[in-house]
Amino acid sequence: MFYRINMADLSVKKEEGALYQGLGGRALSSRIIDTEVTATAHAFSEGNKLVFVTGLLSGTGAPNAGRMSLGAKSPLTGTIKESNVGGTMGHKLGRLGIRGIIVEGLPQAEKAYILRVSSDGLFVEEMPELKGLDIYDTVEKLQSKFGMKIAIGCIGTAGENRMASACVGFTDMEGAPTRQAGRGGLGAVMGSKGIKAIIADDSGTKMVSFVDEAAFRAGSKKLANALLTHPVTSQALPAYGTDVLVNILNEAGGLPTRNFSSGRFEGANNIGGESLAATINERGGKTGHGCSPGCIIRCSQIYKDKQGEVVTGGFEYESCWSLGAHLGIDNLDDIALMNRLCDDYGVDSIETGVAIGVAMEAGVAKFGDSQAAIQLLHEIGKGTPLGRILGTGAETTGKVFGVRRVPVVKGQAIPAYDPRAVKGVGVTYATTTMGADHTAGYSVTANILGVGGKVDPLKPEGQVELSRNLQIATAFIDSTGLCLFVAFAILDIAEGLEGIVEMCNARYGWDKSIGDYLEMGKQVLRDERTFNHSAGISDGADDLPDFFRKELLPPHNVVFDIPKEELETVFNF
Amino acid sequence: MSNPIELRGFMGLFKVFKERNWSNPYILTIEKIVTGDELLIMLEIEKEQVEIIFVNGKAFLPSDARIQSGDRVALVPPGTPGPYRVLLGFVKKE
Ligand code: SF4
Repeated sequence: MFYRINMADLSVKKEEGALYQGLGGRALSSRIIDTEVTATAHAFSEGNKLVFVTGLLSGTGAPNAGRMSLGAKSPLTGTIKESNVGGTMGHKLGRLGIRGIIVEGLPQAEKAYILRVSSDGLFVEEMPELKGLDIYDTVEKLQSKFGMKIAIGCIGTAGENRMASACVGFTDMEGAPTRQAGRGGLGAVMGSKGIKAIIADDSGTKMVSFVDEAAFRAGSKKLANALLTHPVTSQALPAYGTDVLVNILNEAGGLPTRNFSSGRFEGANNIGGESLAATINERGGKTGHGCSPGCIIRCSQIYKDKQGEVVTGGFEYESCWSLGAHLGIDNLDDIALMNRLCDDYGVDSIETGVAIGVAMEAGVAKFGDSQAAIQLLHEIGKGTPLGRILGTGAETTGKVFGVRRVPVVKGQAIPAYDPRAVKGVGVTYATTTMGADHTAGYSVTANILGVGGKVDPLKPEGQVELSRNLQIATAFIDSTGLCLFVAFAILDIAEGLEGIVEMCNARYGWDKSIGDYLEMGKQVLRDERTFNHSAGISDGADDLPDFFRKELLPPHNVVFDIPKEELETVFNF
Repeated sequence: MSNPIELRGFMGLFKVFKERNWSNPYILTIEKIVTGDELLIMLEIEKEQVEIIFVNGKAFLPSDARIQSGDRVALVPPGTPGPYRVLLGFVKKE
């Protein structure tokens, strides 16, 4: 079932979505945007649409199937955007039988509306008391009115102010807004539609059933076994979270430091997963926290300050990097506070950290000065002119301050892996339809997809093929509603991927092969590229900023040297 | 005189270093070039505890690693997220 909401007259229609059968998650959101949004429309115009969609396995008892996708034309990149998020919303919408909510049009007056979804239907309601609130206060008000059991996705002041890096914050299993649909400024699109929050109450619903329950159970068991036995998903992620990558990337010489001027940070160990876990455990916080129903990996955590007060959660590697090494800051408490401020004002912590680093490069503050960085974040919260510049992202910040070293692709900040030292990620950054996005090429690899073998991260050979296969497989996983981190285990345990295929088939009574699902992944990329081309963003934009090709990155003293002509072959399939 | 090596331990080995009262990085002198496997025996660290050894920022299987004085070395247990094992070159061609 689909709901279509027109904010111009606040009408709500129920639809079957005949055009969109057999699609979920990113495949669905990108198809809707490609089909229904005029690619040249301004991201804040009535022609842009914001969609909330569930994945193929949402609302089921499948392991780690709690993710959902938001889609729109991005105000940050001008490209199509899919932003994937955990928390409890995806599962509840799935149980409510909702495949998509399509929001179109613009409201006639600047008011604060919420979309309230339950088994009784979808209702657009005005809640003026939410206007001007940041995310934590918004969540508290909504929970006191509607109870703790609802799932909430809402924007903060950054979204209301239509800052191009605004995110949408979603509540986790404890009801705290620690999960973000972070990238690409979809919070600003939500703000332009006058929607402050979406809330879902799935009381009275049941777990979604399968056409073939026995086959589902068998597939589910295979995936669960893979996740529970692989050392990444059963040990490293629950113990250290994704922040386990800090020391590893630092050692590989690929941890971008002080605005991409070095690949090693002397303070890496202080902000790495090992120190993070030790600090959390010492203070009675929580590691091994699951952000969504059915998560058996539990990579998230709850971080407390020295006084034992909860500061933040879902403290990812990319945020510890963007607000840490990238700024030359190695104080975890300061980084945790900055992460909280990003989540509360409602901006993407990657884009914001990178923008602050670019501002530091310009001399607005000194690298390593965490207090100054915290003040800059407050500027975003207050919506001052400086705050609005930073809140519009790294590219705009670079332009305003005349900085040359601006790490963005298609207007979106490059995250935590330096493409000179990890060249395969560089190919993905350069070519993904989303603007620089590490998660676009994250998925299943090796023998299963015929990638196989060993690439040398410092050499160009084999990287294009690797990135191509990663991007295709990722587009498929992003369409299932599964957390992308299930892919971490599948590299070595082929049964896990079989389990995913079997569950998708069992849910709908299909008989698809892995090849068919990968074809779905390819079609997602084709849809997205069609939209981008129509929006005027051609293959010429598929490259990294030129400093990556010219400036040597210590300690390996390498540049990004994959020829542009080779990058142009990524989508030859 | 030979230069010492700088040795780091990640994930579970971070704890092991602590328990042994080793600094992290632990500074240690080796007399001759050793393989990763030999280094682990010297350190009394189980083979299963280490998937990859970084030597001067490059990833090697323990059996392929060659370590000499002055090197910066890091021991990485199994647990690096999948795609990075490929992207960082941990996965060895069969
Ligand atoms: S693995 Fe991490 S991101 Fe994925 S659902 Fe679990 S807690 Fe959330």
